[in-house]
Amino acid sequence: MNYVSGFTFQVSRITSALAWFVLALSLPASAQPSEDKQATFFMGRIRYSANDGNDCAGIAQGMMSLVSRASTLKVQEERKVRLTDPDLFETPFLFMNGHNDFVFTQAELDNLKKYLSHGGFFFGSGCCTNPNFPSAWRREFGRIFPNEKVRPIPYDHLIYRSFYKIERVRCLNESRDIQLEGLFYEGNLVAVLCEDGLCCAFSANNSCNEGKGVSAEDGKKLTLNIAVYALTH
Amino acid sequence: MIGSVVFEFPLGWLLSLPLAAVLALSAWRQQQSGLGCRRVIVLSALRALPLLILLLLVSRPVWIAREPPASAARSVVLLMDRSESMSLQERDASRYQLALGFLRERLLPELKSANLPVQAMLFDESAELADGNKVAAAVPSGKRTNLGRAIVQAVQHAPQAPLAVIALTDGSANEGTDNIGALTALADARIPFIGVGFGSDQGVQTLSLREVQAPSTVSPKTAFSISAQLEMMNSGEMPSFDLLLFRDGQIHQKKSVSPGKGSRSWLENFVVTEEKPSAHNYSVQLVPPEIPNLKCVNTLANTAVRISDEKELRVLYVQGALTWDYKFIGLALRNDTTIKLTGLTRTSKTAVFRQNVEAAGELLNGFPNSLEELAPYRVLVLSNLRPVDLTPAQQEILARFCSEMGGGVLMIGGPATFDNSWQNSRLEQLLPVVFAPNTGVQGLDRPFRIHLTDEALQHQVFQIADNQPVREVWAQLPTFTQYGRVDAAKPGAVVWALHQNDDGPQGRRILMASQRYGAGLSAVLCIQNFWRWRLARDSDPRQFDRFWRQLFRFLSEVGRHEVSIHVADQELHPQMDVQVVLERQPNPKNITETSRKFFARAEDSQKNLLHEEIVELEPLHPVDFKFHAEKADIFTVTVSDSLRVPIATRPIEIRDMNVEFQNTGRNMETLRQWAAVSDGLAMKAEDCADAANLVARIKSKIEEIRRGKQMRRPVGINAWMLALVVGCLAGEWVLRKRWDLV
Repeated sequence: MNYVSGFTFQVSRITSALAWFVLALSLPASAQPSEDKQATFFMGRIRYSANDGNDCAGIAQGMMSLVSRASTLKVQEERKVRLTDPDLFETPFLFMNGHNDFVFTQAELDNLKKYLSHGGFFFGSGCCTNPNFPSAWRREFGRIFPNEKVRPIPYDHLIYRSFYKIERVRCLNESRDIQLEGLFYEGNLVAVLCEDGLCCAFSANNSCNEGKGVSAEDGKKLTLNIAVYALTH
Repeated sequence: MIGSVVFEFPLGWLLSLPLAAVLALSAWRQQQSGLGCRRVIVLSALRALPLLILLLLVSRPVWIAREPPASAARSVVLLMDRSESMSLQERDASRYQLALGFLRERLLPELKSANLPVQAMLFDESAELADGNKVAAAVPSGKRTNLGRAIVQAVQHAPQAPLAVIALTDGSANEGTDNIGALTALADARIPFIGVGFGSDQGVQTLSLREVQAPSTVSPKTAFSISAQLEMMNSGEMPSFDLLLFRDGQIHQKKSVSPGKGSRSWLENFVVTEEKPSAHNYSVQLVPPEIPNLKCVNTLANTAVRISDEKELRVLYVQGALTWDYKFIGLALRNDTTIKLTGLTRTSKTAVFRQNVEAAGELLNGFPNSLEELAPYRVLVLSNLRPVDLTPAQQEILARFCSEMGGGVLMIGGPATFDNSWQNSRLEQLLPVVFAPNTGVQGLDRPFRIHLTDEALQHQVFQIADNQPVREVWAQLPTFTQYGRVDAAKPGAVVWALHQNDDGPQGRRILMASQRYGAGLSAVLCIQNFWRWRLARDSDPRQFDRFWRQLFRFLSEVGRHEVSIHVADQELHPQMDVQVVLERQPNPKNITETSRKFFARAEDSQKNLLHEEIVELEPLHPVDFKFHAEKADIFTVTVSDSLRVPIATRPIEIRDMNVEFQNTGRNMETLRQWAAVSDGLAMKAEDCADAANLVARIKSKIEEIRRGKQMRRPVGINAWMLALVVGCLAGEWVLRKRWDLV
């Protein structure tokens, strides 16, 4: 940004307006995933219903830098996908967050079923502890596999020890433990949800959800554990 | 033998005139000087003789020997093939009947009119003399064809070598142990071989069960395939036939096969699931359709499978960073309790991430630094590693893990894994491919498909679907986007998969290959993000899972037995001494251990003991063990320790295959080769309509060889001649001295 400001300071207003126009044109391009050929961690950000995958916009980068800091994994930038896109099946890790209720179409559910049964992994997080998103997530993911509902993941599960050893995560505003929830397929955990603003904790230091849900420190540990679990199970 | 002397430079004799003049002048002068007549004669003779010898040598005398014309005592030997392949019916008669007709009606009368006596012999595995009646009454039923032995016997049966050996055969010889002796016999005695080939070049309709394959060990309640490899040759529309699967002698499954037409080799699978740990023998029997003249080389084959839920196959997956391949391979093995995947991943320069270790201290310091640490694993997978990640000492341990301990090593990944910095490393020596200088190569990320080689399509590892042709299944794999470039396969390596269109220095780029390395196996899979196959929308994850299970089992197949049992390179058939090689593997926990006694025993399928002996085995010093297999059966070789506890066992199946029908086409190439090395003839029977012409050519060949048998030897150049010249000159000088002429 300093570079852009310096640039506008030295040119005329018209030139400045043109520069901003050019910059605006270039922004969508720079937001496209850069194809790092050596990358080993691919993340897809889900666009669903009216949600364009932009809630808590810094989430993907936060998560990527978190994963990068904790391991030698080469990380590819997020790519935004819809559940009906063919690209879905080239992205082994999907992330989804939001504030509001949503409903999957049958085509989205069919694709998701195939994706999860083929080995894909899904990470969902409610933004800012808004209850509408988690309840919709539970309902919709409960429709994917017959007889498989979203259920709490007990603290003896491997996901709490896949990288950091996490005994308990306390909720900041309530007297209870934070509980991850998950969907299992043939005994394997394939989708994880945290309703307590986990995305806010690891991407924005919980600034948008201050005093509530998961602390920033716990959130980063928990998120890294989820990523490593997805890479190893 | 008739001989004569000829001079290659007869003009040399012209020198005799001036030399004679000089000698005469010399004698006249000696006489004028008062020397007695006798003395002059003696001196002149002593001078003339060496000059005469020199003249003789100058004119280059050569001794030429010739053989006499064919004598009445020598005959032509006629070899009549009575092996079973001569019973094949083509047109309206068998090959033997066609050969017999040719012999009686055309060849014999012409040989007789050419005054060439004939001695007939019948041959299959060996030859015997036969008169006309015996030849006419013979039934072509010999189980093997040994043309070489027949030739040796033909040459040796009479005191005088035959003038020629004529063979009436289809040329399909399947025993070659006596060929060198036969070649020597023909060459030494200068006998032309005349081969007349009967039958069609294409052969007859055959249907055969070639082999049955199954994984050696599977876990209970896990589906596995028993694959029967079938082969059909020269068939029109072949009717459906049945394949029967027997389990421990009891019929277990049956399937009907509609093979179509033409010549092809294909697999038919039986899917089997066993509930409890056990061991079973599975036999597949082919029930051939009832069509005239169909020949079956083999209709029954067996295999043994151990059902075990032991966690006996541990795979160590070593990565420079976590990869999705590791996750998806883990998913593939998830339901197979016999394979356990352990992960070791570098997460920073100083930290490693361990998964599924069995002890707190296991792999705590990263990649093992000793063989003992690697001993629990049977297969090692390397991914995203660079030479700096493995010290030379660790690479050496890795090589010993493979070569000495019989472990499997797989390197998987793309450009980051198959990095040119591995060139000339110890690891590269171990792998089946030569690394390529890839720095700066562009275009490795273009989508591509993998192309399986024929070797892979026939290999158990690649049989990943039961109800679909293998080639079709593999063609449905998604495209991949990155691959590691390697230059070439090493000698002895088996290439399994190639790039769709990228050419290297030796053809298409290799994507998958394997090779034996010492007692173990090494393999490469040069594809980055191979996981895309399992996640792909249209893929069947079960096929991906099956591939990985089968690959790991294959890589660990040599196993880590204290003693390995190899079957020596030999063609197995009933009534033979089977040679087995026993080799003790070094004990990584006690490398200095020397020889120990073991009991080796061979049993048939009824547990009857065939042979047992005590063998002293020293690490890496193979020892032969033999037993006699009288009939077709599944034999078991077991090696036990001094307390008679079995430590290694290997089933050896000996089938009563009809090798005579393995290749039913006439083999003129064999006959041409015999003819070429003996200056003979090889002709198709249909080209011998004019037998008189054939016999004339045979006679001409015999005479040609006779003429060609002139022996030329220079004469006169020897020590005796030299001694005579020197003696004469010395005598002449002594006499002149004595007579005071010097």
